[in-house]
Amino acid sequence: MKISLKALKYYVDINVPVEELCDRMVMAGFEIEEIEKQGDNIKNVVAAKILKITPHGNSDHLQICQMDVGKGEPVQIVTGAQNISEGDYVPAALDDSYLPNGAHIVAGKLRGEESNGMLCSGDELGLTEDDYEGAAVNGILILKGNPVPGTDMREVLGLDDYIIDFKITANRPDCNCFLGVAKEISVVLGTEFKAPKPEYKTVGQNISDYISVEVRNFDLCPRYIGRVVKNLRIKESPEWMKKAITASGMRPINNIVDITNFVMLETGQPMHAFNYNDIAGKKIIVRNAAEGETITTLDGTDHNLTPDMLVIADGERPSCLAGIMGGKESEIESDTTDLFLESAKFRRDNIRHTGRTLGIRTEASGRYERGIDIINVEYAMERALQLIYDLDAGDIIDGAIDLNNGLPEERIINVTTDKIKELIGVDVPDEKIISILNSLYLPTTANGKELTVRVPSIRDDVEGRADLAEEVMRIYGCDHIVGKPMRGDVVRGRKLPERIKCDKIKDFMSAAGAREIVTYSFISSSAVDSLLLPENDERRKQIKIINPLGDEYSTMRTQLTTSMLTVLSTNINRKITNGRFYEISKRFIPKQLPITEQPDEIPTMSVGIYGDDEDFFTLKGIIEGIMRLSGAHTQYERISEPYLHPGRQALVKANNTVAAVFGEVHPSVAASYGIDSRVYVAEIKLDVLLGINKRKTVYKPLPKFPAVERDFAMLCDAELPVGDIEKAIAKGAGRLLERLELFDVYSGSQIPDGKKSVAYSVWLRSANSTLTDKEIDAVNSAIIKNLESAGAELRK
Amino acid sequence: MKEKIETIRAAAKNAIAASADENEIEELRVKYLGKKGELTAMLKQMGSLSPEERPAMGQLVNEAKQKLETLIAEKKAQMKEKATEMRLKAETVDITMPAKPVKTGGIHPLNHVVNDMIDIFMSMGFDVVDGPEVETDHYNFECLNVPADHPARDMQDTFYLGENLLLRTQTSAAQIRTMETRKPPIRVICPGRVYRADEVDATHSPVFHQLEGLVVDKGISMCDLKGVLEQFAQEIYGKDAKVRFRPSFFPFTEPSVEVDVSCSECGGKGCRVCKGAGWIEILGAGMVHPNVLRSCGIDPDVYSGFAFGIGIDRITTTRYKISDIRLLFENDKRFLEQF
Repeated sequence: MKISLKALKYYVDINVPVEELCDRMVMAGFEIEEIEKQGDNIKNVVAAKILKITPHGNSDHLQICQMDVGKGEPVQIVTGAQNISEGDYVPAALDDSYLPNGAHIVAGKLRGEESNGMLCSGDELGLTEDDYEGAAVNGILILKGNPVPGTDMREVLGLDDYIIDFKITANRPDCNCFLGVAKEISVVLGTEFKAPKPEYKTVGQNISDYISVEVRNFDLCPRYIGRVVKNLRIKESPEWMKKAITASGMRPINNIVDITNFVMLETGQPMHAFNYNDIAGKKIIVRNAAEGETITTLDGTDHNLTPDMLVIADGERPSCLAGIMGGKESEIESDTTDLFLESAKFRRDNIRHTGRTLGIRTEASGRYERGIDIINVEYAMERALQLIYDLDAGDIIDGAIDLNNGLPEERIINVTTDKIKELIGVDVPDEKIISILNSLYLPTTANGKELTVRVPSIRDDVEGRADLAEEVMRIYGCDHIVGKPMRGDVVRGRKLPERIKCDKIKDFMSAAGAREIVTYSFISSSAVDSLLLPENDERRKQIKIINPLGDEYSTMRTQLTTSMLTVLSTNINRKITNGRFYEISKRFIPKQLPITEQPDEIPTMSVGIYGDDEDFFTLKGIIEGIMRLSGAHTQYERISEPYLHPGRQALVKANNTVAAVFGEVHPSVAASYGIDSRVYVAEIKLDVLLGINKRKTVYKPLPKFPAVERDFAMLCDAELPVGDIEKAIAKGAGRLLERLELFDVYSGSQIPDGKKSVAYSVWLRSANSTLTDKEIDAVNSAIIKNLESAGAELRK
Repeated sequence: MKEKIETIRAAAKNAIAASADENEIEELRVKYLGKKGELTAMLKQMGSLSPEERPAMGQLVNEAKQKLETLIAEKKAQMKEKATEMRLKAETVDITMPAKPVKTGGIHPLNHVVNDMIDIFMSMGFDVVDGPEVETDHYNFECLNVPADHPARDMQDTFYLGENLLLRTQTSAAQIRTMETRKPPIRVICPGRVYRADEVDATHSPVFHQLEGLVVDKGISMCDLKGVLEQFAQEIYGKDAKVRFRPSFFPFTEPSVEVDVSCSECGGKGCRVCKGAGWIEILGAGMVHPNVLRSCGIDPDVYSGFAFGIGIDRITTTRYKISDIRLLFENDKRFLEQF
């Protein structure tokens, strides 16, 4: 909330510089968004008297002025304005001056004539008609009151105020006003707080002769006060009120509207003024809107109302959206003669809900949403009437209509000083606690260490000892809190097993030269289309964000591959020639759509690689490493993912459960990401891998006997997977197989069409003895026999 | 004969000394000590000597033989040493030539920071837990003392996925899940991803990361909170880092504070990094609100606790002086390789 420092000084003595005030308020829990010194953007602009005007020889519209700027010698300034006469007092921006629009004025020549500055219009000084009469005139601002030439314009305009923007936290709705902030300042500075004491005179008569008020829903409107003012004398508000209103970001309109706004800014209580003569049936009814009712609000917008919305209606129709905005029909205008004035409390969640539904937020509704005090409703009305009386804005009819369902009792908190100190951890003297609470208008009496605190309704946020502890802490000073080392039983911090496993996978990936990426969990609604998935694919069942920042971020991802492809594309298009990337994140799999319960969040890993050294098998190497790390026994199978190269993709099973899919990205999918080279991706179900209980590592003795190496070169159908050959060799070699290695695959000349040549080295070793020729021959024959039944024939 | 032996011996000695390479030496060995060598020939002539002369002469020949063998071995060793020396000299490399790179990868800068934080808090006995990112209104707001249509909901713009389902706006929801499943004493942290409907710019991201901390025990006070945060700040920002509390408001803590750490750039004097303040706001914290404890079945008259929420992205960008938060999510390899 923006407040003028001058306005605050009306309610509280401020005996420190503005910077110190702000620093101390920050440490008491009031963050300062900004301190704006009025006129800070005007430099070296002074009041000046026009001594002489002569026409410019080289121009029809320019005039040459000899100016008294308070320097003794006259100064020559050329101007294009025509609204000036000799003897006028005007603002003059001198050589090396600055204006609010950022303009830097320096001496120069205009069509050959020397000009040592510039005469300013109201607009050039950032003034409106509200700031200074005549400011809006098209031409130079003519100053009133013959200011002494050379006087700084900021002084002439009364721009010596500071506007402080206090950030009021949501728990302190009572501080969304001058009085609330001033009260806090008085506590922080230890100075006197002076709230206005409303006094006024009525013209007699009785309100009941003018109007009746009925509240039909006390739940949504716990208190409603109405008054009538007759014979309005609508005019401009006094300068001080206009300045205070402007400083807080509102626009002065006329005395009646300004009084309602000023009282809201001063007390925090929104007021509403109805044109009495527009109230049909002289009846005010606070009720829920009826189905199908409409209202045109002050801003000219039509709204359709629903029965959950509260309206202030007259005998016929809604004339105000309760607490949010008045209706066009009962607006106060310059010819309005009589007034019905409202001060009320409305339930904050209902105002918030209605405001959101209709898309309206006003100064008033903002305050209602945060909550206003039911007792203060009356004070604000009294204060408004006092201002009407003091400013002679109308005749106040005797009597108030005050409807409520009972006013709340003060909240009593019984607490010991020790309980307060315990939470803060600081030994605040008991007397200090009591005096702080009392200074905050939380009347506190003590019986030894037992405190009884009476909390007025305006401090509804103070519910118990924790709140009292906060009050004491912020006034006594947070700097009294001294850090203590962690204490209690010595315990060991632990990570979840899943995190430990993921950390190990990350270590492996680092060793494999891969960089971890982090991408958003939401993707565009069409991202999944780029994977060419069929209509019924599970990954198309995605959760949509109801209020996304845009389609780009609208859909919770069910796979990580599209995010990976985007990252690969970014890097490739930046001419980075190769890369290995991975991400560990979550897939969001709905249990139903639209979702009615939390979805499954499944830990998932994606890998993406590209570059001259990468191919299907380098990616397979990474996958195998991860599988081995997880203790999985793996199998590879062919599949047909539409986004992968039909001949270069595989599904990986870990202990017979599907655990990963990987392969080369289909060129048309890659193309849709602006990639024209080969890229390889994998998506790994970490939930499967994390679920595998890795067998404990047990040491295997180092070999004592020599190994025998045998090579097998064979011919087989080109389609026969080498995996089948390996199985055949392994079966033939049995327990003696130590290791086998593919060292050649060849097809071409000397190999019949449709065939290929495959060669393996096989190492055999026994743990118990040196293998004899007889044993080796037996294994050899077994391997050959198995190879033959697998369809591979030894090359002669 | 004696003279002859001496002559051979002297000639051999000179020849060995003069020899230039291993081949020459080998030839000399053959010439003098080989089967048909000159000294060997002398031995063969022993038969023509008288039995009295033989021992003395035999000894003389053997001595000469041994001497030559030693000389040859020494010369060979010398040559080998020299050859090695020559080779090493010839093999000198230009040490400024580029290294053969070891291709290593690494984790994302955000996770470097997360890991550091985890280490710090685990060393203080905090368990590291996890929570769902899609939360219910109940856990994200209601239990944290933010009922529906409460103005505090305006503090955070929330992404909604369904009637009462949303993307968590804070890791604080994990507090509740922890307190529901564990009994005091509780010491946990929960690092994770959170979401707020902020438009993307240099300092805002709709996806960001927080680390929530929670301690519940008997007799916990603001001083314990400050102690833990001081430890944390000193580990992250250096041992001179100071911590400042400023009173503030969060619905789920009371008292609540904003926590500033002295600017590590200027040490608190005020600079561009801290915008002249000397302090940088790093987190929000406070004593767990009695209503929150109560809603988790913990008696606020017996137990108290503190909670804090640290912005991981902010700490990452300040630590590495990253000017634009978007770089963290763009994943340019040249960026990632710097960490």
